[in-house]
Formats: sequence, structure tokens, C-alpha cells
Amino acid sequence: MIKDFQYFAPKNLEEALKLLDKYADDCKIICGGQSLLILMRQGLVTPAVVIDIKGLNELDYIKEENGGLKIGATTTHREIEKSELVKKTFPVLSQMEKRLASIQTRNRGSIGGNICHGDPAGDPAPVLISLGASLKLSSVNGDRIVKVEDFYTDYFETVMEHNELLTEIQIPAAPKYTGSAYSKFNIISSDMATVGVAATVTLNGKNGICKDVKIGLGAMAPTARRALKAEKVIRGNKITENLLVKAGEAAAEESEPISDIHASAEYRREVCKVWVKRMVQEAYNRANMD
Amino acid sequence: MKQRLTFTINGNPVEVYVEPKTLLVEVIRDKLGLTGTKRGCSDSSCGACTVIMNGYSVKSCSVLALQAEGAEIITVEGLAKGTKLSPIQRAFLDHGSYQCGFCTPGMLMSATALFLENPHPTKQEIKEGIDGNICRCTGYNSIVRALMDVSAGKYKEED
Amino acid sequence: MSNTKYSVIGKRVHNVDGPAKVTGSAQYTFDLTFPGMLYGKILRSPYPHAKILNIDTSKAEKLIGVKAVVTGKDTLGKKQGIWRRFPELCDEEILCRSKVRYIGDPVAAVAAIDEETAEEALNLIEVEYEPLPAVFDPMEAIKDGAPQIHDGVEMNININRHIEWGNVDEAFEQCDHIREDYFHCSSQAHMCMETHCAVSHYTYDKKLTVWTSTQSNYYIQALLADMLGMREGDIRVIKPHTGGGFGGKFELDSAQFCSALLSMKTCKPVKIVLSREEEFTATKRRTPMYYALKLGAKKDGTLLAKEVRVVTEGGAYTGMGATALYLTGFFSSFPYRYPNYRYDGYRVYTNTAPTSAMRGFGAPQAVWAGEQQIDMMAHDLGIDPIEIRRKNGHVPNYEVPGQAYIQSCGLHQCLDKIEEFVKSRGKLPPNTGIGIAAYGFMSGGIFNWFDTPYAFAAATVRISIDGKVDLYTGANDIGQGSNTTLSMICAEALGVRLEDVRIHSADTGICPNDLGSWGSRETLMNGNAVKMAAEDAKKQLLEIAAVKLKPNIVYDLDIKDCWVHFTNRPERGISYYEVVKDAIRAKDGQNIIGRGYYTPHRKGMISPAYSYGVQAVEVTVDPETGRYTLNQVVTAHESGTVINPVGIEGQLEGAIMMAGGYGYCEDQPMDDGKILNPSVADYKLIRACDMPETKILEIDTYEPEGPFGAKEAGEGLTNPTAGALGNAIFNAVGVRIYNLPATPEKVFRALQEKKAKEKEAKK
Repeated sequence: MIKDFQYFAPKNLEEALKLLDKYADDCKIICGGQSLLILMRQGLVTPAVVIDIKGLNELDYIKEENGGLKIGATTTHREIEKSELVKKTFPVLSQMEKRLASIQTRNRGSIGGNICHGDPAGDPAPVLISLGASLKLSSVNGDRIVKVEDFYTDYFETVMEHNELLTEIQIPAAPKYTGSAYSKFNIISSDMATVGVAATVTLNGKNGICKDVKIGLGAMAPTARRALKAEKVIRGNKITENLLVKAGEAAAEESEPISDIHASAEYRREVCKVWVKRMVQEAYNRANMD
Repeated sequence: MKQRLTFTINGNPVEVYVEPKTLLVEVIRDKLGLTGTKRGCSDSSCGACTVIMNGYSVKSCSVLALQAEGAEIITVEGLAKGTKLSPIQRAFLDHGSYQCGFCTPGMLMSATALFLENPHPTKQEIKEGIDGNICRCTGYNSIVRALMDVSAGKYKEED
Repeated sequence: MSNTKYSVIGKRVHNVDGPAKVTGSAQYTFDLTFPGMLYGKILRSPYPHAKILNIDTSKAEKLIGVKAVVTGKDTLGKKQGIWRRFPELCDEEILCRSKVRYIGDPVAAVAAIDEETAEEALNLIEVEYEPLPAVFDPMEAIKDGAPQIHDGVEMNININRHIEWGNVDEAFEQCDHIREDYFHCSSQAHMCMETHCAVSHYTYDKKLTVWTSTQSNYYIQALLADMLGMREGDIRVIKPHTGGGFGGKFELDSAQFCSALLSMKTCKPVKIVLSREEEFTATKRRTPMYYALKLGAKKDGTLLAKEVRVVTEGGAYTGMGATALYLTGFFSSFPYRYPNYRYDGYRVYTNTAPTSAMRGFGAPQAVWAGEQQIDMMAHDLGIDPIEIRRKNGHVPNYEVPGQAYIQSCGLHQCLDKIEEFVKSRGKLPPNTGIGIAAYGFMSGGIFNWFDTPYAFAAATVRISIDGKVDLYTGANDIGQGSNTTLSMICAEALGVRLEDVRIHSADTGICPNDLGSWGSRETLMNGNAVKMAAEDAKKQLLEIAAVKLKPNIVYDLDIKDCWVHFTNRPERGISYYEVVKDAIRAKDGQNIIGRGYYTPHRKGMISPAYSYGVQAVEVTVDPETGRYTLNQVVTAHESGTVINPVGIEGQLEGAIMMAGGYGYCEDQPMDDGKILNPSVADYKLIRACDMPETKILEIDTYEPEGPFGAKEAGEGLTNPTAGALGNAIFNAVGVRIYNLPATPEKVFRALQEKKAKEKEAKK
């Protein structure tokens, strides 16, 4: 049963930020509600105030800027999935969205809501981390930019202040010969990741060595995060099967997966080894086609 | 404190007063008595409560009623035109694409939403289109067969 | 069967409930509301095992909006169970008086003006528990010193069952090869889309009406009568459209019992709907089993002896778990002609949610273990897996010694068809394998453990002046389509069209009694009753028609497609509608009433008929992770005459989803008696994108015992998939999984062990 709360539907961002500042300590933002409402129905979260930003059309956009993308926080997963612009510039985002939950959830749920929910098994965060993405956090005090890889502190916890609102996701332009891939390992196709791996590889030329690599891991730690040690194995080197096996092992070792009803920590590590290997390989293949 | 909520449902304008915590599915089932839409879980996973909102399929258990202000909602009761069933409903009948029938309204709404977006989905697109709806009885394949026939144009809107 | 021309049966028809279901106008118990209705909620034990020292409901009773609160003190203190013939197995109070035995065991219930108030009231009930030591594993529960769960039940052994013929010990001496293997079968949740729910209305004239989502409204009526101290006839149980059962809804449940008690206190309708979490944690589930199998054969593949020992995790109460214990032992002998067989099964109480019946009723477990062992034996002997099954399989008119008479049996044709399919696949890609499993399953049980005085099935047909046929049957349509199948049988037997028949089912106030939809009994048992009733009515019509048509004897006349005619000169006749009018006038204006019933008689110990099948499951395994895809499932299957082909296809595909899930992903992991995944998000089951391609190869057979030669086709189909999956994984990557479900992690570990062994061997 949901506990009573006071409901506001601000008409613009300014109003929303003012309300958020006023009620900061005991309020929740609702947009698509696909994560929040489950928690509220189970009584896990009982805010006194709910601020509904679903109607803030000014935050619903996908636009290209200097070769990169800027996505408004209330943009739905489905909009991102279907966007021709996204498919052209960062197809990995569209592919990731296509496997996220169900169509109904994607029709309603927002990218911003998903990111702020902070589930380490969520799909968007590892992908955004591998793309070097940043988040614009806004409040009555102004805006600040935080990289996605620095955004999470613990399970379902972020660096956001109570009066801050995520307003935009910024994805920088990718250099030539860059490819990205994402896949989640699960046993039922629409399930959350048991292990999620996103990889972005930049080569110094066709069939060249790996100039840069970013690997985002999901469900392998209390937060989504970069596999820095695995990246170190790969960066600056020619990508070979052997190298990728070593990278996979490094990623597994630097992770902190848990054992739960879906998989044991050891198994997650084993899958991670294979998945990192495959995603980096896939990203490399795509970089070569760039 | 109850707040005023207005929207249209199956083409009919509706005005109700609801508490902010009321879910859309509660308005549909309990306030408006449209019990075709069902509920089968507590965590937005089963899809039995699927309706169409502003042209898209959504789980009505995961929408606050107040978020439906001004929306156009279609439920399973709105699929037939008078006594004439929709093409998808007729396809379901012919293919026996239901057994206990509890998931069927939600399934029909997901299917209807799919066809609103894409009149000729492929088999894979159909499967993805209904993947958010659990059916414990049919094993899905009879539903997929029905929708493939709709996709192939074997069922037209009746005048 | 296939040569006889039928007018209705065998045709692809719309399910008679179709229009209601595809328009959302079908009313389920979940949808019912009545004026003045109250909403009930149940308070459940948080402990797996505890004494109830005291329950203080005073604060809850004072809460505004609360109309009644009940505890065990408001009951007659009786215990109930389905095995009424054995009172010691009727061990469940439902609303506990002095002790709770699993997390979720009900201790109190509240009725209030709305759900929220009822929920709040639950929080105000203060229960003082004295936790007791608890035991969760049946192997631990039988040990000395284990906590005793039910008074007077030594070693927590609830019941044991023994089946034997021949001399297994002597036979093993003569075998060329013996295998001993151990398996574990997990639990499974029914996951009906409609959770357990009931609306009870006890009225001022001291009568009770209950609308409930059930598989056997008659069982509910009888059990409620006993538990409430009421006359059976003063209780009416009505089954509206029901959102699934699968074996989980034919026992008296907490929603039914508590809503009835609350209504008796208030004389208002009281509705209780179990939440999905309650559904997972506090309703009955598939019986987990430990299996020890010893199989002996000659080197030519002749199976000589099988010894089966089973321990089942009983959970806190018996329910139908005793039947699952018996049937798993019986079906462990299927579908092979073992000259010597011995089964010993023990059902052990544990402090976990009670385990009972779920589609397949112990047979899917038997097949998981047995069909894998048969493959292993074939492998050991160097014999083709189809060949070993062919050599030993059941044949028509085989007698399972002392247990069953098999009349029709299409197992061998099924084996042939699957062999063809496997051959047609040719050389498979790497890491891809096809596994098969064979089974035979019952068409309803012969046993009368419920101790009912009634015929097992009964039907009445009433014909009105316009020729409309009202069919009254106790059969419970839970989605499997019995309303349609029985309407078809009625129409065929009477000689009218399907549209002429309207079925009224599952209302104890109107319909004859029926044991319910379980053990796959409706088509055969109710079908026979309906056929008899229709033929009874037909005979009355023919007697009237004979006056006009003047046949030699009345049997020269028949009705088909609403035409009463001479069987040897079908063009000579009169319209059925005319005959009906004449008949009603001739009988003092009485409707034509036909009566039918059926109870299997002298058909062995288990069932009047058995349906057989062989299923092939094809998988491709990713050896690096152990994950696999279910590519396709092909089933050769025989169920006698096919009455409702659309229905059978639906049953098969649904069974694959459920049984495939049992093999692949469905599980209820527990920690100290607490189910860890009581939500749809965490309970993994197969969705549309995971469902394999399915193909049915129907084999023609004819079952003399069944109506028009039909037998079961709903439950047997859940038997083979897990076993076939286990064999497929082995054939794909050479590892065998012994414990259900065969998750990717288990396959991965098995592959690692195999690699390690191979490495050792090379040294």
C-alpha cells in the first residue's frame, strides 16, 4: 500500500527546481515511475512529497551537438530506442534500450529515472560509462557536470544532493575508428543483467592498435563501474584473442560481484571473463567498420 | 486530499477525484468498474494491467492516476466497436490464443499497441511486442500465430 | 477413430468462452464486487515453527472500518485435508490455533471496509510466539533429534508408499549391467495469473455462498461444510471464470476459509484476494523430491529390474502430497515393461510451505530422473536411445502387474515419429544436441481418497422447446477448455450443432457433483458422463421420432447435424427441432432431461486410461558460459480421439512453457524456510522471446474407455520436457545435470568438472 503524499506537477523546470529545493529532505521525483512506483507500493520508500516532472517537455529531447549527443533526462527509453539520430550516432544505445525490460516499461520509463535509481544491474549506466558520458545536475544553485563513472557511490546511491535534479545526459563525440558494444548475460531475455558488459574501443587506424578503451560493468559491484584494470591490459596494444582473455580475467578479478539467487559470485566472475572478451571483440569489429 | 482528474477512456470523457497515491489501474477497475484490465503481480512484471495511453502500451499499475491527466486511455473494453470485434480479437478467437483468459486483456492491448506503431510486424517483432506480458497457459505460440495472420492482412477492420 | 466421420468433435472451433475472454467481459472472482462487500486480509506467521502463546486482536477490532477479526479460536478446531479416507492425513487447520509450521501459516484474518484498513488492522494484531527449532530438509527431518512438526508423527514421516511386483533383488543378480543414480527435483510455483481468491457471503438464512477461483468447487463445498460445521447442502460454491489452476487450486485454501469465517461473523460478503507474494509463499507448490534409482538390464537392452527410492519434501501439511508420492512411484515404472519393480517413497514433513499437486503430479519428477537414467543405460550398453525404449516400451493391452490395465497405447508410433524427426535433423551444429523423453500419463484417478459417495462425474442435459440444449456439469474449466470440449461431446452425442449447446458448469447449487479438474480427468470422466446424458436425451427423442418414422426398431434411428434419420437411409428423416417439440408435448410439457454419470469400475488401481508421448528437445549450449537456448521442441503424442484440436495444441504449447521452465529456470530457493524470490520479477519463467518453436505430431489411437475414444491431453504433456532437456544437454556437450533446474551455472560447473577430469586423465 502506498503511503499518502503531497503531489506537485510543476509546469516548467524552474518551478520544479524550486519545489525540489523546498521539499528536498522528504521528497521524490517521479517521471515514468517504472522504478519508483514499485518501491512505493512495497512501502520501501515513503516520501511526503512527490514532484512529477513527466510533463516537463523541455527535458524531453535528443539532439546532436558537435558530433556528440545531448539527451534530456525525461526522454523515454523507447524514444531513445527508436531514434534515428541515436541509431546513426551511437547505435549501442538503441541496442541497449531494445533489451531493457519490456516495451511497456520503455514507453513510460525515462533514461534519467533509470540512471538516478542506481541499480547496479541496470543497462544504461555501463553503456554510458563506456561512452565517457556525463550528467548535468541542476538545482536552484546552478548546474554541475558529473561523469557517469563518478556518479554512483553505493547500491542505489549517487552523489546527487537532495535538491538536485538530473536534467541532461551528455555523450561526447567519438573519434574515428571507434566502436561500442553492449550485452547483458541473463537467462530470460528481458531480465535484468546477471552480468552486464559495455565496451568502447578506439583504434589508431583501421586494424590498428587500441588507442583507447572503456569498459563499463553492470551487476559486478555495488555500482556500475569501469573495469580499469581490464582496460589497462588492452590500451595501447593490438587486440588479440590472448589479450582479451587476459583482459577478461582482469575484469573478473577487479570486480566485487555478490552471490544471490540468480548466480553465485564465482559464476558472475566466470561469465564476466567471457563477456568482456566478447564485447571488446565486438567493439573492435565495429571500430574497424567505422 | 483528493484531486480532480480528467481524461478520456475508450473515447468517453471521465472526471474523478482521486488521492495522489491512487494508481491508474485502480481508477480503471475500482472507480470506473472496467474490470477487463487485470492485476497479476506487485512489481510491474506481469503485464496483465496493460492499457494504451496516448497511443502507447503502458502498465497501468505503474502509472499514478494523476499522471493520466488529459490522457487518452484505451482498455480492452474499447477494442470492439459496438458488437464488432477488432481484427486482433477475431484472430485470437480463431487461433484459440487464450486459455484461462486472465492475461488476455493485457495481451490484446500490447498487441493492439504494437500494430498501432507497425501494421506489419515480423515474427520476432511480434514476440518482442508481447514479451512484457506473461501467459501461463498458452505458451505464447498461438498468440504469435494469430498476430502473424493479422500482420499478413488476413484480418481487416469490419465496417 | 480417424475413419469415422464426426460432425463436431475433431473440428477447430472457437472456445465457447472465447467471446467473453477476448472482450474482457469474462468475470473472474478477482473482479467480483457486491453491495456492502468487505475486504479481508490474512495475518501470517513470520516463523517457520513456533507455538502461538497468545493473540491479542483488541486494537485491530477497535480500528475504524474494521468489521470483524477471526483467529483459530473462532473455528471449530478441526483439521482438514483431501485424503479424507485417512484422517491422520487431514492435518491442516488452515487458521492455526496453537502452532504454526511454516512461514506464511495463517494465524488471523480481518474484514474491513477497504483493503487499506484491513492491512492496517493486521499490523495492530499482536501475536506472541514461542519460536521452536525448525527443520527444512527432509533428509534432516527424519534424523534423530529433529524437531517434531506434527504430534505423534515419528521421524516426521507423513506417509510412505510401496509398490512392488516381481522380485527385484533376484532380478538384479541376472542383469548384465546395473546403474545407480541420484537426482533431485526442485519445487515449482503454479504462478496462475489469477491468485487465490474468494468472495464468501453468509446470509441471515444461515446459508453460505462462495465464489472462488478453484479447480474443484465440490471439494471446497464439502471441506467448508466440515470445517464450519454446516450442512453441505447449505453451502453453494460457484466457480466464475478462473485464471489458471495447474493443481494449485483444488484444496481448501486460506482465502476461502477465512472469508467464510469473516462472513459468518458479519453476514456481509467478504472478499479475500491473495497478493502475489502470498501466492508464492503461502500456497501449495510442486513437491520437491530426492530420487535414488537402481536400474538393471541385459546387455541387449532388455530392462529387467528397477528399484526406486524417493524422499519428498512434504512441507508443513499433507494436502495432495500423498498422491504425488504415490503417483511418482507409479509413473517411475512408465512407460516400460519392467518384469520386476519396487518403489518405496517417503513423504517427510518439513517447516516449509506445504508441497502438493502441480500439473504432472509427481510424473515430471519421475521422468526427469528416469528418462535420463534410461539414456545413461543406453549409453553404457552402446544401444540407441530410441531402440532401448522401443524394446521395452508399453504396448496396447499391457498390464502393469497389479496396478493398471493399459488399453490403447500409441507409444511405439510416437517413438517412430520422433526417430524420424531426429534423423531428419541430420548432423547437428557444434554444441547442439537433441534429447528425448518418453512418458505415459493417466486420464483421471480411480482412487477415491476424498471418500466421496458420489459418482466421479455426472452430467444433466435439458432440452427446451426451441431445441436449445442446456448442459449441466460439475466440471471446472480453469482455462484448459473443458467447457468447450464437453459441449462438443454433448453436441456430437446428441446430434446437434455446437451452437445448440450451452454449458453451465461448476456451480454446486445447479450442477451435479464432480471431483474437479486435476489428474487430467475432465475429458475422459466428464466426457463419458456428458456422452451418457446426451445419449439418454437422444433416446427419448428417438422414441418419439419412431412414432412418426416407424423404424423397425428404435436403434435404426440416429440424430446428426440436427437431423433425425434412418441410419441406413439418412435422407429419410425429420428435423431435430420438430422432434423436440413433439417430445415435449408428448411428455406433459416436460423438458427432455438426460442424465449421465461415470465412475471408473474395475480399471486397476490408478486410472481408466493412459495417454503416451515422446518429446524431443533440441538445445544449443554456449560452452564458455553454460547458457543454452531451447531451439525447438517436437512432440509425438497420442490422446485417443482428438475432441478439441485447438484445445490440445494449446495444452501442448502451454505444457512446454511450464515444463520447459521446470527444466530450465523456475525455482524457489529457500533460506531457513523463507522463499527468497516471492515476486514475479525474481521468479524466472519463460516469456514469448524465450519460448522455443514447437511442433506436434499427433498419432491416431482410440481409447475404448473414453468418450468417442478420447483420453487425457493436458497434464501428461508436462511430463517429458525436463527429462528431454537433461538428455539434450548431455548430447550437446557431454555433461549431465542431476538437480533441477538445469541452470546455465550448473551446466558451466559440470563442464568445468569434465574439463578437469579430462586433464587428470591425460596425465
